[in-house]
Amino acid sequence: MTGRSARLLHALGLLVTLSFTLFPFYWMVSSSLKEQAALLASPPVWLFRPTLANYAEIFADQKVSGAILNSLIVVCTTTFLAVCLGTPAAYALARFEFRGKRDLWFWFISNRMISPIVLALPVYLLALQVNLLDTHLVLILIYLTFNLPIVIWICTDQFRSIPRDLEQAARLEGADQFTIFRRIYLPLGVPGIAVSAIFSFIFSWNELLYALVLTRRQVQTAPVVATSFMSGYELPWGKIMATGTVIVLPVTLFALAVSRHMVRGLTMGATK
Amino acid sequence: MAFLSLDGIVKRYGDHTVVDGVGFRAEKGEFIVFVGPSGCGKSTLLRMIAGLEEITAGTLAIDGREVTHVEPAARQVAMVFQSYALYPHMSVFENMAFGLQMAKMPADEIRRRVEEAAAILQIGPLLQRKPRQLSGGQRQRVAIGRAIVRHPKLFLFDEPLSNLDAELRTQMRIEIARLHQKLGVTMVYVTHDQIEAMTLADRIVVLRAGRIEQVGTPSELYDAPVNTFVAGFIGSPRMNFLPATVAEAAEDRLTLTHPSFVDGRLVAAPRRGGARVGARGGARVGDRVTVGLRPEHLALDGAAPSLRLRAEMTENLGGSTQIYARPADGEALSILTPGRPAVAAGDELPVRVAPEQIYLFDGAGLAI
Repeated sequence: MTGRSARLLHALGLLVTLSFTLFPFYWMVSSSLKEQAALLASPPVWLFRPTLANYAEIFADQKVSGAILNSLIVVCTTTFLAVCLGTPAAYALARFEFRGKRDLWFWFISNRMISPIVLALPVYLLALQVNLLDTHLVLILIYLTFNLPIVIWICTDQFRSIPRDLEQAARLEGADQFTIFRRIYLPLGVPGIAVSAIFSFIFSWNELLYALVLTRRQVQTAPVVATSFMSGYELPWGKIMATGTVIVLPVTLFALAVSRHMVRGLTMGATK
Repeated sequence: MAFLSLDGIVKRYGDHTVVDGVGFRAEKGEFIVFVGPSGCGKSTLLRMIAGLEEITAGTLAIDGREVTHVEPAARQVAMVFQSYALYPHMSVFENMAFGLQMAKMPADEIRRRVEEAAAILQIGPLLQRKPRQLSGGQRQRVAIGRAIVRHPKLFLFDEPLSNLDAELRTQMRIEIARLHQKLGVTMVYVTHDQIEAMTLADRIVVLRAGRIEQVGTPSELYDAPVNTFVAGFIGSPRMNFLPATVAEAAEDRLTLTHPSFVDGRLVAAPRRGGARVGARGGARVGDRVTVGLRPEHLALDGAAPSLRLRAEMTENLGGSTQIYARPADGEALSILTPGRPAVAAGDELPVRVAPEQIYLFDGAGLAI
């Protein structure tokens, strides 16, 4: 095969993959701009007069803006805490020998192995007992249990790749353990920290199951509100799609902004 | 009182002993080089002096203070790592200032010291760059600069030149020697390169398998190696060894026999600064000995040859030629000779060595 036709095939493959992944996204955005009649038309309408009515409607609905605010509070707090708590733990796992290190390490990973739904009911009962249902705190706590392992996992790997000589040079120069962590490991670990923060953010932002189980009215997050439109006999697709777009938008922008780090982080350790 | 003193230093990892009872003293301002093959424990020893490795047993004192179990930073030592260990996210200035910041020095004093060190090392224009924007030699200078600014009592170098190409290595070697003269501080330098050891050291510590084989000035080690290991390690190209038997033992002369010697005999006399030879050295007729011949002491001379060898291969080094030639039995010897003698493989070579340039070792490899 010549280089030219190989490149053509390559481009074709990319095109197929791209349309496959982007089509649902396109469908969501375009549906959010359609009127109900156009939405339900069969065969589907490709050309239509776009309307912002759905958006006007959801933004007028205090439930949606409140839910987005709730989401932001929970997700930002979770991500911040996960990074603040996870990076020191990762440093300890990467650089110190202590008893039970391997078990601890496995325990962190095993937190991610369990299916969330298995724990949904016990967590609900626990939250009920301690009176935490329908609070930001309960969501932050439960998201932390899922996100901390990711942060620790990625950052441990990142910190391990930092040459030990740097730490030893700093020790000789009089830096204490915390200074070494703050001045050497944190700045050099930025790619890994950024990736773990992104994962943590996206995971929490998209999480539906626990948000559905553990909230009532006060702290409903955006995904919960989006699904709550599907009630009774009515399926207001336009509103659901508009809400979906609004939910996806911040994460997409966030991911685009940090995608450079993301690629670097995901391939991290690959060429060690 | 010695400036740096090591007494019975031992390092064990589990059952594995890496450094086994090392003791020696260095005076203030001395340039000490630890040399030895890889795995001899020289780097571990250096890292124990720095405080980066725990000392299993023994005592270490720097400038009259026992520091065996003192934190690295409190020992007032600076170390230049083989990898340079520059902080990649900091500028050259920040790299050099880091230790001073840790010591809570005022900013203007930090600036003054960094600029002073940068001037010595000629890296002033690089202060705002990041390490990745520097060449290997420049990184090396920054690593040294980082050590200088702290005005440490003791400089430690862990194979600092091994990542540089040959030309730069020679240049940096001279600079380190110059720096030592200028600063007059005590330096301990680890290398496996015996040329670095010979050229830099006031005294060399030769290590093997965690033990000291010999401590001495470069000339002492060259002239009077205590055993075949040191003899083979110091000097380039490596010393040649030939087994022989003592035929006659006069007061200060030994006559040795080996089939490669002309007429089967070779006379060895006491060497300048060397060990005693002859009956006073304890050799008796019939003893098996090892004869050590330095390649640079062997000369092609048809008039009064001491050995007859058969040429195998020659290497043209430009100004000199290295000839590999085989004795009647045993391994090929190397001969370093000036110029470009016309030697072809298979030629019989008459080789002369002066009686006072012959090194002798007993059956256990110890110098006679």
